[in-house]
Parts: sequence; C-alpha cells; structure tokens
Amino acid sequence: MTFELTRRAALQAILAGTATLATMHAFPAFAQQKGGTLTVGLTYEIDTMNVYSTGFLGDAQAAVVEGLLAPDQHAKYVPVLATEVPTIENGGIVVAADGKTMTVTYKLRPGVKWHDGKPFTSADVKYTWEAVKDPAFKAESKDGSAEVASIETPDDLTVVVHYNSILPTFASTLFTFGIFPKHLLEGTDLNTSSYNETPVGTGPFKVTEFVRGQYVVTERFDDYWAKSEKGDALPYLDKIIFKMIPDTNTLITQLKSGEVNLVVSTPYSQAKQVEGISGIEMVKGPLLSWQHLDFNFKRPSLADINVRKAIAAAIDRTVLSKAQGGFPEPIKSPVVPVFEFYDPNTPEIAYNVAAANKILDEAGYAPGSDGVREKNGERLSYAFMVQAGRADDELAQQVIIAQLKAIGIEAVANNQTGVAYREARYKGGYDLIYGRWITSADPVYSVFWGTGGANNGQSYSNPALDAALSKFETTLDPAARKQAAAEFQKILAEDLPSIPLTTNVALIAKTAALKNFVPNPTNMTNFVHTAEWYMG
Amino acid sequence: MNFGYILRRLLGAIPLLLGISLILFAIVHLAPGGPLDMYAENPAVSKEALQQIAVAYGLDKPAPVQYVMWLKSMLVGDWGYSIRTGRPVLTEIVLRLGPTLELGGLALLISLLLAVPLGIISAARRGSKLDSGLTMLSFAGISTPVFWLALLLQLLFSVQLGWLPSAGYKSIGDGSFLDRLAHIIMPATVLSLATIASWSRFIRSGMIDVLNQDYIRTAYAKGRSERGVIILHALRNAMIPAVTVIAVDFATVISGAVITETVFAWPGIGRLFMESMDGRDYPMLMGLMMMGSVGIVVANIIADVTYAALDPRIRYG
Repeated sequence: MTFELTRRAALQAILAGTATLATMHAFPAFAQQKGGTLTVGLTYEIDTMNVYSTGFLGDAQAAVVEGLLAPDQHAKYVPVLATEVPTIENGGIVVAADGKTMTVTYKLRPGVKWHDGKPFTSADVKYTWEAVKDPAFKAESKDGSAEVASIETPDDLTVVVHYNSILPTFASTLFTFGIFPKHLLEGTDLNTSSYNETPVGTGPFKVTEFVRGQYVVTERFDDYWAKSEKGDALPYLDKIIFKMIPDTNTLITQLKSGEVNLVVSTPYSQAKQVEGISGIEMVKGPLLSWQHLDFNFKRPSLADINVRKAIAAAIDRTVLSKAQGGFPEPIKSPVVPVFEFYDPNTPEIAYNVAAANKILDEAGYAPGSDGVREKNGERLSYAFMVQAGRADDELAQQVIIAQLKAIGIEAVANNQTGVAYREARYKGGYDLIYGRWITSADPVYSVFWGTGGANNGQSYSNPALDAALSKFETTLDPAARKQAAAEFQKILAEDLPSIPLTTNVALIAKTAALKNFVPNPTNMTNFVHTAEWYMG
Repeated sequence: MNFGYILRRLLGAIPLLLGISLILFAIVHLAPGGPLDMYAENPAVSKEALQQIAVAYGLDKPAPVQYVMWLKSMLVGDWGYSIRTGRPVLTEIVLRLGPTLELGGLALLISLLLAVPLGIISAARRGSKLDSGLTMLSFAGISTPVFWLALLLQLLFSVQLGWLPSAGYKSIGDGSFLDRLAHIIMPATVLSLATIASWSRFIRSGMIDVLNQDYIRTAYAKGRSERGVIILHALRNAMIPAVTVIAVDFATVISGAVITETVFAWPGIGRLFMESMDGRDYPMLMGLMMMGSVGIVVANIIADVTYAALDPRIRYG
C-alpha cells in the first residue's frame, strides 16, 4: 500500500467520518434539534494545527481557523471574515495610475469573536502578514506575503493592503489561509507556540483536545458569528472529532463498525468495499488536479508539431481512466472543468490511430525494420518518466506505452523516485514525462508553459502563449481574464506542449445521516464550510 | 558478577554505536527522496521558498557536514527538531514511548507466559500428536501476515460482534483502565503471536538437547518425577539458547511494531517511524534508529551477562 503524505496528495487520502464511537451510539433525547457529533478519520497524522506550517491540507484546521475569504464548492471565492470579496467594481481593488501596483481594501465583518471571547479586528489581519513573512517563522506556505508592500488599518474593521505588483490571484494566498490572533501570539515564537496544537480561531468549532497520533476534538463555538438563512444559531453540530487512522483497511473497517462514518477520499481500490456498507453513501467530488503528458522540446522530433499531434491522437483517455478503476475523468484542458475559467470550446484532438499514423506518414516518419518510425536518422524512441512507486502513474505509463506502439513510436520507461523525479521535471531530464499538478482555487499557469517558467522543464517557449498567460495573470477585470483564459487554452490545445489527460475525483463515503454536506474541490478542504452540517 | 567486564563491554559499545550512526545516516540520506519532496506537486511553492526551508533545517549543506553537525549536537544531548512537526525529536519520542512500551510489554508478557510451557510440553512429548499439532501452529503463527490477521480480528470482534474497538489507544473522553484494556487486547494478541511461535521453538529445541544429557538420565534413575526433572534439572540449561533471542526481542520493543501499530492506529514509536519515513524526516529517523540501536547493543550485553548467571561454567574475563 502507498501512503501519500504530501499536502497535495493528501487531498486524495483524506477521510472523514460522522459517527459517535461504537460505544456511544445513542443520541441525546433532544435529538430533534439539529446537532450531533461527527467523527472524521484522517489517513495522515496531523503534524501541526497551524495552517501556515502544516505539510498537509488543513482539514481539521479549516473547521477552526477562518480567513477573510474562502473558496466555495465551485472554487469561487466568497466572503468569510470580510463582508465582501474585493473587486474593481465594488472599489475593493484599486490599480495604481502606472498600472504596476494595486491596493486591496477589505471591510471586516463586525461582531466576530475569537474563541477566547476577544474581538477580531484589523490589527489581527496586519499581524498575520507580519508573522508569516518573518523569516524566522518556518512555514510551508508564505504565498502572497512577499507581494505585500505595506498594510494600513485606518479603523478596526478596515484593512488596506498595498501590493508591490498586480496580483490577480491574491485571494489564493495568505489572508484566505487563515488569520492569527494578535493578542495571543504577538511576541511569541510561532515555531514552538502552543497555538500549533490548540489554535484559537474564529471558526465554528474550537479545539478542546489534541492528542498526537490519535485525535483532535473540536467543539461547537457558541459565539460563532454566522446565522443560518432561517436565523438559527450556527454551527449545528456539537462536535467534530478528527481521528488519525493511517491504514486504509482499518479505516474501512471503522466505517463498517460505525466508529467512523464519512470518508472524504476513499482510495480508488477500496471503493467497491465501501459501496456495500449500509447507511454509507458515496459522493464524487471534483479535485483541482490534472494528469498530463509533457514533451521535451530539446528532442527535434518532439519539437515537431506533427509528432505531438500524432501522439495526442494515439492516446485513448478512456482506457487510461479504466486502468485506474474508472475514476479519473478525461479532460482536454489543464484548466479543469470545475473552474469558471475553463473554456468548453477548447479544441480537442480525437482518439484516432489511423489519423495519427497518417500524420506521421505524411510528415516523413517512415517505419524502420523494427517498426519504430524514423526521420533524418532520429528514431522515434523516447525515454518516458513517471514518479517511480506510484502505482496509478505506472499503470498509466504502461497504457500510454502500448498506445504509442500502435503508431510506431517507442517509449521506454525510465522512472525516478522523489528528488530525482523532481529534478528531472524541472531540468528536462526526460523525453516524455507523465505527472500531475494540484493547484489552488485560482492558479497561475505561466509557471508551467511560460518562457522560463519555474516548472517549465520542457524548454518550451511560445510568445503568443506568453502574451495570453500574461494577460490572464495581470488583469483584474473578470471578463478580460475569461477571454485571456480561453485564448491560452486554445493555444495550448493547438500547439500541444503538453497533453492534458485526466482529472481525479475524490470518493467521499459519508453516512446518510450527515446533512448539508457539500464537497469542496479546493486546497481549503471539505471542512471549509462546516457550520451548516448536522446529523439528521 | 564481573563489573570490569560489563564496563569494558559498555566502553566497547561506543565505537560500535558511532559506526552504526554513520551507516544509518548514510542509508537515510541515500534513500531516494528527501524532506522537501512533499512540495513536488505544488507549483506554488517556488524554488526560493524550498531553498529557504532547506537552509532553515541545514539541508543545503553536504551530507558529511550534516552528519558532523548532527553528531555534535547529539553528543550534548540535543536530538534536533522534527522537520515534519517542528517539535523537538526527544519530545516526540518520549510521547510515543509510553504506548509502545505498554503494547510491546504486554505482548512479551503474553509470549513468555505461553511460549515457555508450550516449548516444554512439545519437547517432553516429542513426536507425539500434541507436539506435531503445536509445531504446525507455530509455523502458522510465524507465517501469518500481521496485517491480515489484524483485519480478520477487527472484522470479527469490532464489526460482527461489536465487542472491541477496532483501533486506537483509548476512547475520546475515556481512557480508564478497562477502556484501554479493550483497545490493547487485539494489537497485543496479534503482536505476540509470532513471538510465541518462535520462542516456543527455541525452548523446545533447547529442552530436547538437554533431555538427552546423561545427568537427566541420572535424575530419572534417582526416581525423580518427570515434572521434577524438567523443572529442577533441565529447564535452566534448556533456557540458555533462548535467552539471546528473548533478550534481543525485548530490546526491539522500544523500536515499536511498525505494522501492528499502523493497522491498529496505535500512537507508538513504530507509527512515528512510519510517518517520519514517509516524510523523510531525517532528524526524527536518526533519533528513532539510534534509540533502537542502543537498545539492541544493551540487550546483547544483558544477554551475555544472563548467560553467565544461568551457566556457572561461563566466565567472562
């Protein structure tokens, strides 16, 4: 079995449960009120409850700590501790006269209290930035802190953030991850603070117990700011318990025995087992990840669009999906369909082996004696890399190798683990590479295919694409961004530096008793909106 | 008891442990991947950010330099900080040692209580149906995969019968003696099974050797009962070969049981090791493995001393 423990991969390995312990089946007599206890099983051990330093996605953290904004089920930002999402239209974003910097103004929600009863104010927001950018603070994520030039707090409920550049993705960065309580943390060492175990937040649930390697108990925060549409006090649930259960077989057993009743991402291999458990229903949730096949443009034949087109036509994505239990869904754009910027009109090269062979024949790639095509002395034989040890990736590799063979292209597996794979990916130590990226709710794409992009190991450069990506990444107007997004998706689909293959889904096994549960595809996890959940 | 001997053995352990630490450090660093791998699929973590984290943990320095830095701080009792949790390695280990000692200790106790009588009975009734049956059970015990047996027990006692919690150390909000007993029974049973099987084999063969000795025949000739011969004359000598095995098994308890602890979500050293391995948490791994090494070295010394205590013919000079 594989334990996938990265912050991103954890998205696929998160398990959640809604149940009282087996020994505590009975609900209290006042069960007609919305409430109950939710028991969540996680396959990883929570390292720290600090959202900025955890190496995983912050599942438990999301129920406790809130940011100014949060992504909803469509990966669209909605206000949380702010009263609205700043935009140009509502005056929340002002671009400087020279067009090079911007100022974002947040109006904060009045009457919000920290779990210790102290009021939440603009000073907390400013402190969060200061604490995160402090080089002494060892953080997994400092996204967006370097782009902030200064912060003003004219009053308790107004925060004015001056950026030193135009950052359309500002909502995917620090103030969304979470806000620190200044009155508790100022002057303390965040690396060793007790905040890392029992964080004080403004969220619907507060941490009452954190036992390492075992569980985190969170209880209803009675002074939570939000009300339901009908005016009920929120949250409904009395408790959410996060249990750490590293073995997925054990987790499924706990689902069966009722010790855990909701699994936010069942391993694909265990989906069948879960479907047979009574009282448990399976929900499919989208994920912001995509699998892709990249070309190295240093190989003359791969720099030839005909070869890339032929390869695109030779790959049958439905077979790729079937090889992985039928769960990954075929895609045609790296902008996965859950995003509003996805353009459904993006052109697609249909699976057609005859057409692929025809393209190669016409471009002068003639089969040699061993069936492998060649032209100008270059055989179409490629070193093909996936991350070694990832069963799903190695399966996909075998499928692709077989499909390329049908058009006279030889791909030879040259798999690397860990650092070696990453180095090769950055530096182009491959001819073909298969892998995945997992992004935030508002990703930047120039890092992959922009000329000199940080993750562009392909030596790919296309000025037209650079222009479209730049427009997308430095424009704040939504309509113009959408247009730029359609433009770069079209260029990518036609020039094919990379073939988008599949996107993953989260298999969520939940008890039928849990109501109002809405899957969230983003890195802010399914627990970003827990206030309205209840056991019914 | 020769204290000079013990002292010399302890002093001799120092270069041994230094050598072990060097080999462990090399292995940990040669293993593919590194602590920063977890960021490999996140395009938002820039090379600069990675570099900053690397510098903070000294990962930017060459491995030999890292080794010397680690050794220097280890010698003054500083075990370093876990890269995964950011907390001191020693704090994390101490936290996990309790549950591991409880589980391992109980498993060894069960093993000892069952393995000794089973081994003796097998030897005394050598070749009988009882002996064959026990032999078969032993081989079954040694070759049963722990995770599979664990799963079966969980399905039976937790899902079907609902008698025991399927995993975990204690119930939330409970933790009384009975609650913890309910949690520990299944993992301790699973963990002791292979030990019972292997120990009883050692005791059986040791006992068979001894029962063929002349002095045993003499004891029978004197008119001693079988029970008296076995317990008073044979047992002490029969235990000598088993002692080494048992002593080393005791030592490995502090390294935790990786699979059993993982399957039963037991918050012990074995699981900490697993988590640290997955995250390539170098300081944590070094701390855990050094602790295990010290345990085994010390257990070997204890085993040798126990030899001498059991067998007056053995003298260390």
